Amino acid sequence: QSMSLSVSPAQTAAWRRQIFEQLSERTKREMDNFRHYEQAIEQSVWVKKGTM
Amino acid sequence: MADDKDVLRDVWFGRIPTCFTLSQDEATEREAEPYYLLLPRVSYLTLVTDKVKKHFLKAMRTEDVEEMWFEYEGTPLKWHNPIGVLFDLHASNTVLPWSITVHFKNFPDSDLLHCPSNSVIEAHFMSSIKEADALKHKGQVVNDMQKKDHKQLWMGLQNDKFDQFWAMNRKLMEYPTEEGGFRYIPFRIYQTTSDRPFIQKLFRPVSPEGNTHTLGDLLKAMYPDALTNDGEQKRYQVVIHGIEPLLETPLQWLSEHLSHPDNFLHICVIPAPSD
Repeated sequence: QSMSLSVSPAQTAAWRRQIFEQLSERTKREMDNFRHYEQAIEQSVWVKKGTM
Repeated sequence: MADDKDVLRDVWFGRIPTCFTLSQDEATEREAEPYYLLLPRVSYLTLVTDKVKKHFLKAMRTEDVEEMWFEYEGTPLKWHNPIGVLFDLHASNTVLPWSITVHFKNFPDSDLLHCPSNSVIEAHFMSSIKEADALKHKGQVVNDMQKKDHKQLWMGLQNDKFDQFWAMNRKLMEYPTEEGGFRYIPFRIYQTTSDRPFIQKLFRPVSPEGNTHTLGDLLKAMYPDALTNDGEQKRYQVVIHGIEPLLETPLQWLSEHLSHPDNFLHICVIPAPSD
């Protein structure tokens, strides 16, 4: 499998790959099951919906 | 392949699912239900818990209410440390949601700083940024900014505006190419096994011989016990933003990408789970 020319060897360094992978695992672990929770900081562009 | 810029977003938008419960010691007029919230890892407890306060105040008499503070399994939580640092240090490897107890009396003056308003958090945040810039650029970048630029950093954090924050913060992350990095890396190493608040010393991103310093080099110099020797069972986890970067990771890259908005690289050294 060929790699994109824009990807330099440094960018595929193990430490970098490992950080990307772990951050993605962190999202799964800490966020995926809890997306129904309320956000602590409301984004002003969103209109909050009532329960009914 | 993901881009390094994606790391900045992942760091900024990290959230800890949290369940707040009112302490049993508090006198209530009616039962107070737990309150569930997604807390930004990079923010501060007292900055993002207005809703929690409002929720529990409904169940209490005004005369029973003093300054709100938080505790996790008997440890008062220091609001002046970022939320993600508090979680990684005290509650890593526990079941989510993170269970925090809310108090409105018996404020532990010997453990916590008072936080009467958001302006106290702002002052603490800006002083951290200034300290970090003193280490990185002798304070020249932050001193060249205008008051409105400082406000932009703070408002970006307060309102969870990534683009607003980074439009300014990128200036604090610049350095002369020929120097290979900042003058010194702003870092703090936290540990649960000591009463010391943290380890912070001067450490450069590049050795005098021109070699890139790594996370492993930093730990070797500051906290060698955190490292595992060959053939030895791992005793500690080195955690930044809920992940364990490899020890070969260049320190300068970590400082640019995994620092908190206060511009410090907060590193937690915690006992490895024994399984």
